[in-house]
Amino acid sequence: MALTGLDIYKLLPKTNCKKCGFPTCLAFAMALATKKVSLDKCPDVTEETKQILESASEPPIRTVTIGSGENKISIGGETVLFRHEKTFYHKCGTGILLSDNLSVPGGEIKNKVSLFNKLVFDRVGQKVRAEFIALKNDSDSETKFIDALNEINTLSSDSLLILLSNNITTLEKALSTLKDRRPVVGPANTGNYESMTNLARTNNAGLLVTGKDLDEIAAVTQKITDMGFREIVLDLSNPDINSCLENLTQVRRLALRKNYRPLGYPTIVFCSAKQGENNCDALTCGATFIAKYASIVIVPEPVDWQFLAMVTLRQNIYADPQKPVTVQPKLYSIGGTPDNKSPVLITTNFSLTYFTIEPEIINSKIPSWLVVVDTDGLSVLTAWAAEKFTPEKIVDAMKKANIENIVEHRKLIIPGYVAVMSGKLNELSGWEVLVGSREASGIPKFLRSIWL
Amino acid sequence: MHTVKILPDDIEIKVKDNTDLLSAITDAGIYINSDCGGNGTCGKCKVIIKNGYVLSCQTNVTDDLVIEIPYSSRIEEIHALIDTAEQTQESVFAYQPLAKKVHLKLVQPSLENNIPDYERLKSKLEEKLSISNLKIGLSLLKALPHFLRKVEWDFTASLVESDGGYEFVQFEPGDRSKDIYGIALDIGTTTVVAYLVNLDSGKVHCAEATYNQQISLGQDVITRIMYSTEKKGLKKLSQMICNTINDLIAALVEKSGISQNDILAVQSAGNTTMIHLFLGINPEYIRKEPYIPVVNFPPVINAEELNIKINPRGTISCLPGVASYLGGDITAGVLASGMDRVEKASLLVDLGTNGEIVLGNSDWLVGCSCSAGPAFEGVGIKCGISAIDGAIQSIKIDNGEVTVSTINNKKPKGICGSGLIDIPAELLRNSIIDRSGKFRKESVKSNRLRKNEDDEYEFVIVSDKDSHIVITESDIATLLRSKGAVFLGMQVLLQEMKLKFEDIDRIYISGGFGTALDIGKAILIGLLPDLPDEKFSFIGNSSVAGAKICLLSKSAREKAKEIVGKMTYIDLSTNPKFMNEYTSTLFLPHTDIELFPTVKRKLGI
Amino acid sequence: MEKVIEKWTGKIAELSIGSVSSEGGSRSKVIKIGGETTLPFLHFEGQMPNPPLVAAEVCDTPPEHWPFIIEEFKNFINDTLRWAKKCEEWGADLLCLKLDSCHPDGKNNSVEYAGELVSKVLKTVSLPLIVIGCNHPEKDQEILPKVAEMTKGEKILLGMATKDNYKTITAAALANDHSVIAETPLDINLAKQLNILISDMGLPVERIVMHHTTGGLGYGFEYCYSIMERCRLAGLTGDKVVATPIINMIAEETWKIKEAKASKDEQPTWGELHSRAVGWEVTCAAGYLQAGSDILVLVHPESIKIIKQTIKQLMTGVRP
Repeated sequence: MALTGLDIYKLLPKTNCKKCGFPTCLAFAMALATKKVSLDKCPDVTEETKQILESASEPPIRTVTIGSGENKISIGGETVLFRHEKTFYHKCGTGILLSDNLSVPGGEIKNKVSLFNKLVFDRVGQKVRAEFIALKNDSDSETKFIDALNEINTLSSDSLLILLSNNITTLEKALSTLKDRRPVVGPANTGNYESMTNLARTNNAGLLVTGKDLDEIAAVTQKITDMGFREIVLDLSNPDINSCLENLTQVRRLALRKNYRPLGYPTIVFCSAKQGENNCDALTCGATFIAKYASIVIVPEPVDWQFLAMVTLRQNIYADPQKPVTVQPKLYSIGGTPDNKSPVLITTNFSLTYFTIEPEIINSKIPSWLVVVDTDGLSVLTAWAAEKFTPEKIVDAMKKANIENIVEHRKLIIPGYVAVMSGKLNELSGWEVLVGSREASGIPKFLRSIWL
Repeated sequence: MHTVKILPDDIEIKVKDNTDLLSAITDAGIYINSDCGGNGTCGKCKVIIKNGYVLSCQTNVTDDLVIEIPYSSRIEEIHALIDTAEQTQESVFAYQPLAKKVHLKLVQPSLENNIPDYERLKSKLEEKLSISNLKIGLSLLKALPHFLRKVEWDFTASLVESDGGYEFVQFEPGDRSKDIYGIALDIGTTTVVAYLVNLDSGKVHCAEATYNQQISLGQDVITRIMYSTEKKGLKKLSQMICNTINDLIAALVEKSGISQNDILAVQSAGNTTMIHLFLGINPEYIRKEPYIPVVNFPPVINAEELNIKINPRGTISCLPGVASYLGGDITAGVLASGMDRVEKASLLVDLGTNGEIVLGNSDWLVGCSCSAGPAFEGVGIKCGISAIDGAIQSIKIDNGEVTVSTINNKKPKGICGSGLIDIPAELLRNSIIDRSGKFRKESVKSNRLRKNEDDEYEFVIVSDKDSHIVITESDIATLLRSKGAVFLGMQVLLQEMKLKFEDIDRIYISGGFGTALDIGKAILIGLLPDLPDEKFSFIGNSSVAGAKICLLSKSAREKAKEIVGKMTYIDLSTNPKFMNEYTSTLFLPHTDIELFPTVKRKLGI
Repeated sequence: MEKVIEKWTGKIAELSIGSVSSEGGSRSKVIKIGGETTLPFLHFEGQMPNPPLVAAEVCDTPPEHWPFIIEEFKNFINDTLRWAKKCEEWGADLLCLKLDSCHPDGKNNSVEYAGELVSKVLKTVSLPLIVIGCNHPEKDQEILPKVAEMTKGEKILLGMATKDNYKTITAAALANDHSVIAETPLDINLAKQLNILISDMGLPVERIVMHHTTGGLGYGFEYCYSIMERCRLAGLTGDKVVATPIINMIAEETWKIKEAKASKDEQPTWGELHSRAVGWEVTCAAGYLQAGSDILVLVHPESIKIIKQTIKQLMTGVRP
């Protein structure tokens, strides 16, 4: 289990010698606890301490990397049950499942892979995409499997692959065509884990493990780790959505709460769903498992709008909650429909600041423009103190908002707490700067007194 | 130049054209309220010109004038900040002051005893004080032979601590060993307090307090730092604080009748920004990420160099600080409380302008600054004032009747910190406000609750022909924010160290709001944790107390360095809990009433 | 291995909406929400006696920022009563009527209008009712008491009570035996404080539904999601003040955003608009179900159907 700063402090020399670059041993210990620094920065630490810290720092859920080069992703490694407790670190992968029965000559695979290739979206400045193609040897035929794989490879050489077959030789052959792709292979189970493990190890692949229940899965992973292999992904797919949710929850809880190693691995869920127009089953399952603990979610079809929604949800769920809650820095119209004579107010993008000001502007009954400046989510005074709410930044935000072409007048209202910047702001912007009230509660009176 | 006549003082001053009245009045040595630093927003610097009120900060002198400064605008002597009670830890430190006077009678030299003058003096002193490492300056050495013979080898040597040893600073005829003084100084953002301490007896001779002159340039350290980056700003701020200190010293000298030359050492404590400004060091980088001060351990400085009016060869020392927002005043507080010398964990809560908190024991210390704001110093509150004569220091409301008590029983002038803590408690207890600090406008039937000229609800505390003292809804919101930040600061520190309030052995409260602090009410509003009364100790102005201890003891000065060495600064501005949980504290006593079981019982929640 | 079963000490309050004729109302059924003793759908651990509900949103004036819905609903978008009737046909559990037209900057319809409209809706549909004001705290103080009075006996859910107007709305709910939605912006403490203030007025916590201001998918979803999880965890660990059901206004956070407006020509990689827009409402709802939502307010009939199915699957554990 993770040690706290105080736990670690007790193991340090307590000399406050500053050689590590921190002012005190306690400060260093706190940084160690949050993994902001490594132990070797302390020259005086004992061997014993080293060992204790190393074993404590082994994560309860293993991080497994799939793929290579630019497109590789890491999954697992999570440390909390709820994102607000810290954050979910490794965003879950998404992808589609293809059956090798679809292989030539129907062209179905070609079709689906080219649709898959288009599942790349730009969201809040980030490129997000579907990463995985799982290929299943439904045909039991080696040729079909290899043909399908080749087809996938020709069209999509950088997707992350999951190769599923009960035939070791088929998988072996498939792997031989892939160089350094670091796919996932499987399924490994009680019956075949030995050969599967050797196959995965030899070919530098991850290993998908299945079983009829968590006990059986745990038994298999234990045997696999006994063989010295740990690049494991647990397949928790289940036709019953509820059992699936239960198992995903239990795996996360057992790993984190009980430090139960046999299930301390990333997980994958295949959402099987009926085909058909507008069928959102795959989507609702996908959404459920993105929220609750799957490390990879696979759906049957490469449907663009479904993936757009899923990767957006994933981005939301995996966003770092420790960043301050912010509102989008932009121009807001508040209290109705402001026009070219309406007042222009300015504030920061800390959401609490925004949500305090907004109702008060509404209360004033004067429709207004509110320019929200990006202050990294700091409130007015804090942002000002940290130089994130400066006349320069305000002028910049006003430009971006194009406010000078929206209103006729040249009067800008700033929060009372930053009255000191009015001179400089006036100089930089050329606008007359009016110092508003210090508290949001003063806004209605202020607006009514100067604008009516 | 114009002449401004100030009434009722009947003082005339010469003022340059276009100077603002506030500066002119301040320069004349009259202190008047100005919370906003001359921005024209607080409305406290009102003066009367021709029967009409103007804000002095917004009025420029363009002609000869007669003005009247009303009682309500004046800042009076700050009594409650001066708290010379010996409740602190000085007795545990060995007496070894920053400066000494030693009466010596040397054996006259002879042909048999032909040791040189200086070595003769030195060996006698070394023997008497069992010290080594003595230094002397050339000019003093040059004067020595004549002096020794003139006083017939009977004289008093003055020494100040220097580089771990001592340096001679003056020689006087006869025995003057008891006439030695030092100043213990608390340089606060809002107020400055000085004790004149006899370094021979260790007793406080007298004390003075006044507002930091810099307050006219802004309430908080950030505004001051910003001002310091303007042209000549740093020099002006530096001069202002030195003037403030010199005014205090002059007052002490006058009060006590001692000679300024007998003051040989100043031991100061102040927050990091104040110390930078005092020494004229650029504080700019304190404010900017990654928030680094120029120095935590300032060197000892010659009084002459800083133009501080004590013996020109006397020394100025500053207690070391921990970080940009955890200064020497807090080091002094820890020292004065003695919390760093006991095994059980205790908390130090300094309710100054920032609200600093230290948690720790003999093994470790962590500290933070909560940016609580100066509300408990009366700043930013409509009728708030410092703990001056006439400040309302406690308030009781029963059946709609309001009873107040003021400092020195003077007529009420405003409300100081302890009164401001009482108000929300009493309003809540009487169901005049709800737990979010809003007036229960619908259900309260009292003509004390009414809308004011700003269209805001306020509750009238005192209303007679001389004073009109109220608390507004936004005042209460401001107080809630301050108390919330302080309480949350404590919670965050405890959480960082995996402790609970119940694990805390003692809570030391320091601050300049007088001894009227009602712990029960501070708990009721959620400023202090719900712990038994006996766990709290009010230690007054612990900054000046710590400075005094250091003035008198070398081992205390060493201890101060040790405290700084082991204190870990926790930055709340980047702490997620501090940000996420802040709103939980903006409620009376707290959103989570289970944290305040006795309040829950008392209020029947 | 031994499974990890949490021993939750708290229970989410159970709340009834609607009243049948035998109880003085005119609804076809009484529906219940809340009562959970575990996290969403963890049936192995505790009870979830009432499935989350799907409420269909009806606006009394065409929602100008929802072009897609205006187009799809063009036959009845101007006829509140017909729209309401449709919702019943679509299988919604209850109706969420929004009195947007009363907003002073809009049509500024009168208090009397609001009262009459609500009476007509009651006569037209038999579903239990949620009535939301016009998102103007002061005007809501005028119209909602009237609504509460006109619906006396129907046990409706009345919203939004905010920190600025909760006193009036709570008083109206108290006088007419309704429940209220307490709305606070994305902050667990503010939510808790408002619940305390409302219950201090005598309305028991059991008659409050929380709204943390829903974030649309991709537009602040995660903030609301985490506040909901934190509230639910606090409620289950014994904090009675926040152990109340939660509502999510998903429709209004979905249909105004570009994912529910932009055509395929504008956004060629986003897929076809109709499915995308419905998918957006569905995904947002499915996400909030996992955070503890008790009432999902949706607008599109397809979303309503799909989410009802999803809830059924999650409740019974059976897939169709």
